[in-house]
Amino acid sequence: MTPGHWVEWILLSLGVAIQVVSVAGLLAMPNLFDRLHYLAPASGLGTLLIAGAVAAREALDHQGIEALLIAGFLLVFAPVLTHATARAARIREHGDWRVQDEERVKGP
Amino acid sequence: MNAWLVAAAVLLAAIVPCGIVAARGTPIERLVGLEMAGILTTTAFIALAEGFGRSVYADAAVVFTLVNFVATLSYVRMLERSV
Repeated sequence: MTPGHWVEWILLSLGVAIQVVSVAGLLAMPNLFDRLHYLAPASGLGTLLIAGAVAAREALDHQGIEALLIAGFLLVFAPVLTHATARAARIREHGDWRVQDEERVKGP
Repeated sequence: MNAWLVAAAVLLAAIVPCGIVAARGTPIERLVGLEMAGILTTTAFIALAEGFGRSVYADAAVVFTLVNFVATLSYVRMLERSV
């Protein structure tokens, strides 16, 4: 195996491992807000590593560029979805996403 | 079967727990399972494109990523108040 193959294999393995661990975390967490945390490593780091593995194999050809484009898109827009989901959950729960009076920390 | 196809198989198998999450709890809790399944499907498409050496699957991944983002955002907006 050439060094390029090792890089490709390591990046791919790490990317898949991060996504599988994220799914396990999603399954293990008890509520919505805890589960939302596990979307970030899967969409950000996991996808970026797998796209890196594609780029290591293909260089910047058609598939390499597309994989990096997808990773970049998810890196930017997956947090938007996470935020929107948390915001929707707050609105469903309290009628408004902003901090409620009873949640404010009282001063000394 | 090369490493990319094994990776794609693992990623596709990981969608099953997402289905379990999407089958339990309130509608907004179920949506998180769908979001994770979307991410896994995208990366599985990328791995399949490499595994089979067919760039058309990578094109499908691009389209799926964009459609999935818009669809999930629509679900979120709908679940915010109306359902």
